[in-house]
Amino acid sequence: MHSEPEIRQALREWILGKARDLDPAALTDTTPLFERRYLRSLHVPELLLLLERLRGEPIDVEDLGAGDFRDIDTLLAKFGPARAAS
Amino acid sequence: MTVTVSAGLSSIGLRWYETGQAGLSGPLLRLAEECDRAFRTLASVWEAADERHPSALPAERLQRLDYLHSFPHQATFPARLDPAHLDEFLAGEPVTESGAVDLTPLAPVTSVLTPAACYHLYHAHEGSSFSAPVYLTTRNTCYRHEERYEPLRRQWAFSMREIVCLGTHDETEAFLAQARAVVDEFLGLLDLPVAWPTATDPFFRPRDNPQYLMQRLQPSKHEATYGGDLAIASVNLHHDHFGAAFGLRRAGRPVNTACLAFGIERWLWAITDRHGLDPSDWPSPAQAAVTVATRTVAREVQL
Repeated sequence: MHSEPEIRQALREWILGKARDLDPAALTDTTPLFERRYLRSLHVPELLLLLERLRGEPIDVEDLGAGDFRDIDTLLAKFGPARAAS
Repeated sequence: MTVTVSAGLSSIGLRWYETGQAGLSGPLLRLAEECDRAFRTLASVWEAADERHPSALPAERLQRLDYLHSFPHQATFPARLDPAHLDEFLAGEPVTESGAVDLTPLAPVTSVLTPAACYHLYHAHEGSSFSAPVYLTTRNTCYRHEERYEPLRRQWAFSMREIVCLGTHDETEAFLAQARAVVDEFLGLLDLPVAWPTATDPFFRPRDNPQYLMQRLQPSKHEATYGGDLAIASVNLHHDHFGAAFGLRRAGRPVNTACLAFGIERWLWAITDRHGLDPSDWPSPAQAAVTVATRTVAREVQL
């Protein structure tokens, strides 16, 4: 399992790789990723796989709820190591 | 229960076919036409221009939306026989005892029977650039194959009226908020209680579909649900999904779209369930819509 800073950094790099028109300096941990259309629906399956790999646990898509992928902070809170350990 | 209701409904003009299709006449047909008139009156709140479109869409256009990957289980295709094999077709019995057509090879199938009325609008306006929000409305017979059918509630062929906004993100959000308020006021006058839960579309293999996952993560569909399980209207935010697929642009970017949709047969079910089978007990949708549209426009003028 990866640490929280490692997951945060991996997510950041992945997001910047997909959101080509997003200035790295403008990407904060609270930047709304889908709301601002930096990421789109076609990115969701890959992001799910990345989260599963980083947390070392599968995610049941039926547990996904509104806003769960809102920003990096939310991704960490919902799918980060703390939750995986609980 | 359903059989009893169906018997009652048949006395006021419902002809039901096990193929999932309904024929209407008499009071029910008049009510259906009045409902659609009412929806067009509601559309006048946004001065939406009415359009009429064909019964099928080019498959290639629809597939730009990945429709046939997302809903292959619901799609219905208009097909015709390959002219090169007509002699072969005529050599046998065209229809078997089970009622199936004894098909010989088909000509290429290039169309899909309309699955949602608003798709035609994006297709028809392909490549357009807009400088202000545009509001359109259209009605079509829509076709969706289902595992089972229920008269007026779940049909293979049904009538859908839609009101669509093409605009910026903020304009489409504002349209949906107002649309929901308009529908709520309209339903209040008709004494039809509903809830507005979030909803997802019936994707094939939803767990593998990015659009389904997105609908869970960022709810973009709310349904006006009567009696706990019957969606009689829905508001849908599409973001720039259709704008990007059909080259619809606003200020150099793909336009955002949103729609308000009504399933007309379901309104017949809801009104008759709530107010009974005697037409003299029915509220007037047309009158209620005029009241709502007048009040809404008056409120806007005051602002």
